Amino acid sequence: MKRLIARYAKEYATHFEIVTVWDNAVQKEELPLEDPHIRTLSRTHPAAIWFERKMHDDFGIVIEDAFDNRPLVAQERFPKGIHPMQKNFRETDIAYADYRPYKYEAIGGDGVFEVAVGPIHAGIIEPGHFQFSQAGEDILHQEVRHFYKYRAIEKMLEGKTLFEAKPIIERISGNESLAYQLCWRDIVLQATQSELPENNRKYHALLLELERTIHHLTDLGFIPNDAGFGAALAYASKLSEEARRQMQVLTGHRFGFGAVDFDTHMLDVEVMAHYLERLEEAVVFFESWISDIPSLWDRFDTTGILKKDKAVKYDTVGVVARASGLALDRRDTPFYQAHGFEIQRETGGDVSARFKLRLAEVKNALVMMRSFMVASCEAVTPGCVEDGEYFAFSESSIGELFMSVELKEGVIERFFVRDPSFMNWQALHLMMPGNIIADFPLINKSCDLSYAGNDL
Amino acid sequence: MPEMIYDGRYVMIAFWNRRIQSGLLTENPEHDKELKTIRKEIRDRVKKKFAGSLAIRMVDSGSCNACEAECNALSNPYYDLERLGIYFVASPRHADVMLLSGLMTFNMTPHVLDAYEQMPEPKWVISMGDCPVMQAPFEKTFAVNAPAEEHLPIAHHIPGCPPSPKEIIEGLLVFLRKM
Repeated sequence: MKRLIARYAKEYATHFEIVTVWDNAVQKEELPLEDPHIRTLSRTHPAAIWFERKMHDDFGIVIEDAFDNRPLVAQERFPKGIHPMQKNFRETDIAYADYRPYKYEAIGGDGVFEVAVGPIHAGIIEPGHFQFSQAGEDILHQEVRHFYKYRAIEKMLEGKTLFEAKPIIERISGNESLAYQLCWRDIVLQATQSELPENNRKYHALLLELERTIHHLTDLGFIPNDAGFGAALAYASKLSEEARRQMQVLTGHRFGFGAVDFDTHMLDVEVMAHYLERLEEAVVFFESWISDIPSLWDRFDTTGILKKDKAVKYDTVGVVARASGLALDRRDTPFYQAHGFEIQRETGGDVSARFKLRLAEVKNALVMMRSFMVASCEAVTPGCVEDGEYFAFSESSIGELFMSVELKEGVIERFFVRDPSFMNWQALHLMMPGNIIADFPLINKSCDLSYAGNDL
Repeated sequence: MPEMIYDGRYVMIAFWNRRIQSGLLTENPEHDKELKTIRKEIRDRVKKKFAGSLAIRMVDSGSCNACEAECNALSNPYYDLERLGIYFVASPRHADVMLLSGLMTFNMTPHVLDAYEQMPEPKWVISMGDCPVMQAPFEKTFAVNAPAEEHLPIAHHIPGCPPSPKEIIEGLLVFLRKM
């Protein structure tokens, strides 16, 4: 079966264009500006529905035959009839409209009740809403509802050059900054028909693996913490702090903002090698220790299962897909393989699988980082930017990131990005039935998806 | 290391051995002495005003999640914020201070104001990061309501994109002095 990667609209002077990106093809469809209608793909690809609901909110395109026509980005008090991605919408201020309740998916029946969680959560995490239908402790159904953090990034970037857009693009999702920067870099390289020397590619790949290491280590602490095992958080958060400090040493910034550019960079290989050695020793200990806490694995095993057929059906990506047995990784290329990349997979699809997968990916990242170390990379001057439509992919710590930019007269005419979270959030509810609500934080954390990258 | 650590019975012993060997990690960021006096200050002020502890409710109004990551880092063994009597709490109803990050998005603004309403008096808002003051690279769109000061009384601001854990601690101390 074809895998759906993205589906989005573009507005031209004479028509709308609907772009559907599959893993093996890109389909384009023209729609009139007046009364545009399109048939839903959600009957065969359920995850198409968020793309389509967003398309309706953004452009006013009507989706036919859809099982869900509720607004997605436009929330209860969003003014009616406004489609902000249309080119003629130029307001920078909108007024709050009267409150229109959002109809949550709910299961009825004797004794069944609903639990509303969010948008502000108890911990220090991003805002989003989860609506549960409960039979006692058992979760019958869950709906994920997001876009509280919607900043209108796509609109914000229109009219900017690629270089003006860079500081915003690298801040779309703080945990995935390097992955966003690599997509940006690849689009600049395509638009300027430039080549990047091998050393620069290695340096950037090193930073991306370090970002992945930081993110995975953070989760390796927080997942056990959500099962009540705080010692793991203390240990792993020490490691993730050290990794973040290493990012500061390499890039001058703890999150690597501004790290990917075309300038020259020096790297103290000895210091980095020494750091990697210490990290490896700590990770080996962590694994032997954490693997032997039976009460912890009792909470992890069989909790929040996503079966392989569902992972395929919902076009999931990244850690979630690989933990359910899919071999999906944008790093599965000769360049990465030459530096020790091995695709990591688990088959259980449960919290255990996602936890073990992160641990395995940290160990594989260690191998790659050693191979990617270069003493320096040289400055490159990209040529003139040529107008056109460009696509780029990278593998963030969450999963496959897709970015598409259309340039017209040297500036961004349409910016579209699909965070891996946008796919995986839509599969989260599949992990819920058969679990108790107290395990929801654990399941959610085991996926650790981005709200900011999803909401844009 | 001996083979026996892989046996379940010994695994926690191995952990504690390691813990003892690594000693105390917590840093008093550069200014030990200053911190000591400030801790006394905090104790005195917090005792009078907050009965011994300062409770913070972190609210993300549309950030990139870096500010949240740095606030979580405040609990790692290097910073261990709680030793200063400062706690992150789960509900605004338990909070003295709202720590606000993000761009005050159109969709989040009503919820941020709700959370503020829920806080008992006396209460303060500290904004953090460059977003709430519109100093980050993000630009004003219809979906962005920042600057936050147009919607909430901001008592103190901690700049940075994002501020590091050390800068957050220092910012909180400046706030406590200001009160």
